[in-house]
Amino acid sequence: MARALILRPTAEDHRIIATYTGRVVVGVGLLMLFPLATAIAFAEWETAVDFGIGMFACMSFGFLLQAIFHTRNGLRRSHAFMIVSASWIAATLLGAIPLALAGHYSSFLDCVFDVMSGYTTTGLYLLQDLDHVANGLNMWRFVMTFAGGQGIIVMALTFLFKGTPGTFQLSVGEGKEERLLPNVINTARIIWMVSFVWMLVGTIALALIGLSLGQQPVRAALHGLWVFMGSFSTGGFAPQSYNTFWYHSPVFEAACIIIFFAGSLNFALHWAVWTKDRREILRSIETRSFAVTLTVLIAAASFGLAKANVYPEAVTLFRKVFYQLISAHTTTGFGTIYSRSFVTQWGPAAMFAIIIAMVIGGSSASTAGGIKGLRVGIITKSFIQDIRRMVSPDSAVVKIKYHHIRDTILTDEIVRGAFTITVAFLTMHAIVTFVGVLSGYPLVEAMFDGVSAASNTGLSCGVVAPGMPWGMELVLTIAMWLGRMEFLSVFALAGWAWSVVRGR
Amino acid sequence: MRRRAPLLAVLVLSMMLTHAAVASASSAVSSIELVEHAEKWDGVTITFTGEVIGEAMERGDITWLHVNDDPYALRTIPEGAEPSGFNSGQAIIVPTELARLVTGFGDYDTRGDIVEVTGVFHAADPEHGGDMTIEASSLKLIEPARPVEHNVPLGKLVWLAGLASLTAASYVAHRLRRSHHLA
Repeated sequence: MARALILRPTAEDHRIIATYTGRVVVGVGLLMLFPLATAIAFAEWETAVDFGIGMFACMSFGFLLQAIFHTRNGLRRSHAFMIVSASWIAATLLGAIPLALAGHYSSFLDCVFDVMSGYTTTGLYLLQDLDHVANGLNMWRFVMTFAGGQGIIVMALTFLFKGTPGTFQLSVGEGKEERLLPNVINTARIIWMVSFVWMLVGTIALALIGLSLGQQPVRAALHGLWVFMGSFSTGGFAPQSYNTFWYHSPVFEAACIIIFFAGSLNFALHWAVWTKDRREILRSIETRSFAVTLTVLIAAASFGLAKANVYPEAVTLFRKVFYQLISAHTTTGFGTIYSRSFVTQWGPAAMFAIIIAMVIGGSSASTAGGIKGLRVGIITKSFIQDIRRMVSPDSAVVKIKYHHIRDTILTDEIVRGAFTITVAFLTMHAIVTFVGVLSGYPLVEAMFDGVSAASNTGLSCGVVAPGMPWGMELVLTIAMWLGRMEFLSVFALAGWAWSVVRGR
Repeated sequence: MRRRAPLLAVLVLSMMLTHAAVASASSAVSSIELVEHAEKWDGVTITFTGEVIGEAMERGDITWLHVNDDPYALRTIPEGAEPSGFNSGQAIIVPTELARLVTGFGDYDTRGDIVEVTGVFHAADPEHGGDMTIEASSLKLIEPARPVEHNVPLGKLVWLAGLASLTAASYVAHRLRRSHHLA
């Protein structure tokens, strides 16, 4: 049997990848201006120096790549996934520098874990003594998660690239396959415009609520901005170690829910609603799928907790369950209970409901992670189609449609695509759980935190903590990356390495 | 992992010692014990000691405080403490007139007041949305807040200057390469 010919990448291929990666890394350096300015504003001079070092490290690396590997050739489809992978690796390692200098981590791997968690909008963290952290460092955590939610490549597309062929593939490689307008750069700009409008309204709302809850104006403004960034990016980072339990307010919780639910919606859906087609939110297979699974899982978790009699009053029970469940389902990771309370108070039944919510996740082409409602909807429709075929006459042609921005006939190819990614996610969840069990954690706890990392959620029951086994930490870091990239870019990296070694 | 075992042992030991130092002053129950065995302590009057962090959120007659009894209550990382785990603490509800006794809150620039509160522990307080709380009836200032000194190490300034120069040089090289290519 003839073997498929694998082409070894040329020197020009490597130059193109290095040049574009350099541009993205310069963009990451520019992002550090936000924490740098914050540190200067609050006279946190050591933190300002840390971010100065981080910023210049990114920029010198980025400019050197562009100077050494300079090319005028544009990127092609085959380069796009590799550029995404290389950019994420460089941005993660260089983004960890200011964290390592801050002294709040036990190892550089812990810093890398937190940066990957930020960019992938996961929200798990290993930073220690968060309650005494500098405002500049906190700002970086939220800038990372907000930029990661939009996509660091999408960010570069918007502000640094000028209409290059193949840019759409860059966007796809980062899990943003929706094209709202014919021009991909205009699409990226629309995504930013929608996000900035949400940021303005959300930050003001949260800051005003914070003020009414007794926060001082400066803290209310900072917390408003940061909690918005953590919510809309479905990230889950919070400014205090108590997460959103800090605020003790149903109004604050409701505002968070609105923001992170919005963040979990497909940007194409945002655009449709933006351009006056509000019915789209009710017709979309993703929102329908989300509504069904959320309702079922809330009922399941409530039943489990009611049996355990943790919250004797129904209103309290609903408030706690609804918040944690919708936070898990949108893969945000905000919580209003202590991490260990999942184990010590909620118990396995309610934890399983949370795990399933995390596995499913939010909408495609959003900031959310997980398998995604679109795929769950497609697989469900495919089952319905098969049942209809079974009960129909042989001569009947059974066709079924689903609505996602437009009506689409369900084809075997679409179903196969949905199944492939779903199986890949489930396999990854099984692997991270197994690694957790091998590391000595109980099954449910290992599964909870493992799935949380792989689905980019960020809820924890206490497994992810400083001092966790480094092998498990590495596996979870890779799982966060795989989950965010939906495997493609990471597998492309492996394929590239293979072609360098074995190609002709 | 084996190489890290002695380091972890030292960390755990120092955590236990510092925890004990904070706790022994008041025979307090630790926040970790309260979270791990919430049902056992539910409704029990306890004494809890630690650092007040963040801010007081005044809401009429009551005020929300957050009191951490972790190792950083003795020395924060910005003060030079080694990382020794996550923060841990409890949310406290106190009468507002008692909350006004607090002179400083823990953050980057401040090691907050160390206070001792006595009150009823609620595993899931029905009056406050099911939150885990200590409803305090007394608050005693044990040690006032202190400012945290920050100094920029010389080594970091050298790195900053070096990388700034490298950035300038690499930018010039990038521009020259580009203009050469265009010509």
